[in-house]
Amino acid sequence: MAEVGLKLAFSLAQIAVVMGIVLLTVMVLTLAERKVLGWMQDRMGPMEVGPYGILQPIADGLKLFFKEDIIPAGANKFLFSLAPILSLVPALIGFAVVPFGPSRTVELFGYQFQPFVISDINIGILYILAFTSIGAYGVILGGWASNSKYSLLGGLRSAAQVISYELNVGLAIVGVLLLAGSLSLVKITEAQAGGFWHWYVFAFPFPQIFAFVVYVISAVAETNRVPFDLPEAESELVAGFFTEYSGMRFAFFFLAEYANMILVSCIAAALFLGGWNAPYPGTLLPENLAWIEGVVWFAAKVYFFLFLFFWLRATLPRLRYDQLMRFGWKVMLPIALGNILVTSIAAYLFPKG
Amino acid sequence: MMKTFNAWLKTIIFYEILIGMKATLGHLLRYKPITLQYPHEKRTLPDSYRGMLALLRYDDGTEKCVGCDLCEAACPSRVIKVISAEVPGEPTKRYSKEYYMDMTRCLFCGLCVDACPVDALGMTREYEWAVYDKRQLRLNKQQLLAIGDRSFPVREKRLELQHPNVAFFNVAFRQMPPKEG
Repeated sequence: MAEVGLKLAFSLAQIAVVMGIVLLTVMVLTLAERKVLGWMQDRMGPMEVGPYGILQPIADGLKLFFKEDIIPAGANKFLFSLAPILSLVPALIGFAVVPFGPSRTVELFGYQFQPFVISDINIGILYILAFTSIGAYGVILGGWASNSKYSLLGGLRSAAQVISYELNVGLAIVGVLLLAGSLSLVKITEAQAGGFWHWYVFAFPFPQIFAFVVYVISAVAETNRVPFDLPEAESELVAGFFTEYSGMRFAFFFLAEYANMILVSCIAAALFLGGWNAPYPGTLLPENLAWIEGVVWFAAKVYFFLFLFFWLRATLPRLRYDQLMRFGWKVMLPIALGNILVTSIAAYLFPKG
Repeated sequence: MMKTFNAWLKTIIFYEILIGMKATLGHLLRYKPITLQYPHEKRTLPDSYRGMLALLRYDDGTEKCVGCDLCEAACPSRVIKVISAEVPGEPTKRYSKEYYMDMTRCLFCGLCVDACPVDALGMTREYEWAVYDKRQLRLNKQQLLAIGDRSFPVREKRLELQHPNVAFFNVAFRQMPPKEG
């Protein structure tokens, strides 16, 4: 009984810390996106709230919190309320299996705990893929339940887009899974230890560089970001599937979008860029402080991807819908399938150690 | 053959996208914003800036306006309404008894200023005229004179060489180029 209670307490503490960090990162991201986008376009970004506008996320949060929560006439109230939750929860729940730092165990009151991953389940990546698929329901239901043409069109576009690009994400990951021989994110990351030439982007026997490119492009599409932001195309659909949302429900969709961005960045860092592993063999800091280095490297990789999201947004125009579909099915899918084929042959010819 | 290969190579390494991303990154690294933090810093306006309209006075404090109605006639948006009257006790002189400007309609073209024969109208450099109630933008003569007083502290001298009845003609001609010979 004591053991269960202790484990529960430790897990809850871990969940609280991870959720706190994720939501804090979302806050930072909302500001960082506007700032980076502004700087890239010779603007300043938010400058009014606090010095250099650094308190802008708090102001935005307060504004959204106190805004009137409108349910449009003719909307399906149940689904309209359900959709934001359905969209946010899968985005946050995926962080349960993401390893943020080295897989080491600490002993606390005589029991073993892993401090840097909430739960290292052996189907980690499958779990994330499954839950991110549920996130698409939130978008579609939100679009449909709003009783608005813009929302419906945004939701429909999102449905087609998320389904086609999720396939590519899944197939791009398969190459890495073949090489690592595991679905657990912790094991996959551990397999990439010892210098950047062991990372799966560059790794022998077959570098997963094509899979990496396919994954990054599909991840951008899956999170509905520019240049694949057709579901919310501002210039044609107002705001797409969350046109009719306001107040906290809108904030939920917003949080979900950014949480999804962080999640796909975490997966990309863990699967392709060696997660917490430094690009040089071993660690610089002594043994008992090595975890700091690991966490910092992981954060650096994640933030690189997040910066890439902003960078793409500042650079690229939106794709047309047929271009998006053609690109997904005729270009990305064959590359991902070919990558699986070549990787399997390479993994067969050069079996691990 | 080489050409198609190069084109193909450029496609698969996303050459065009990389060019664009290089441009945006260059702007990020050489960050030089063109933004002006408006309420805190304001741009210097050109001398000929066409801002809020104002009625002017001579240096002795008398109004320049002679109530001729030409501004009302020139105005394309019918902003101006002049009610002209004789100066009490001086039957040959007229002035504007009442003068209204509905600034909600004004498009700041400056035709009234051009039309005025005595230069009684001026365009100031005021532009912060946002109000909560648009009725506040219907200005009467006192308000317009007040704007003129605070925007043009240096007033023009009243011309004395001419007969006061024809003074305004000379003022109008003064802007013409001098005659040759």
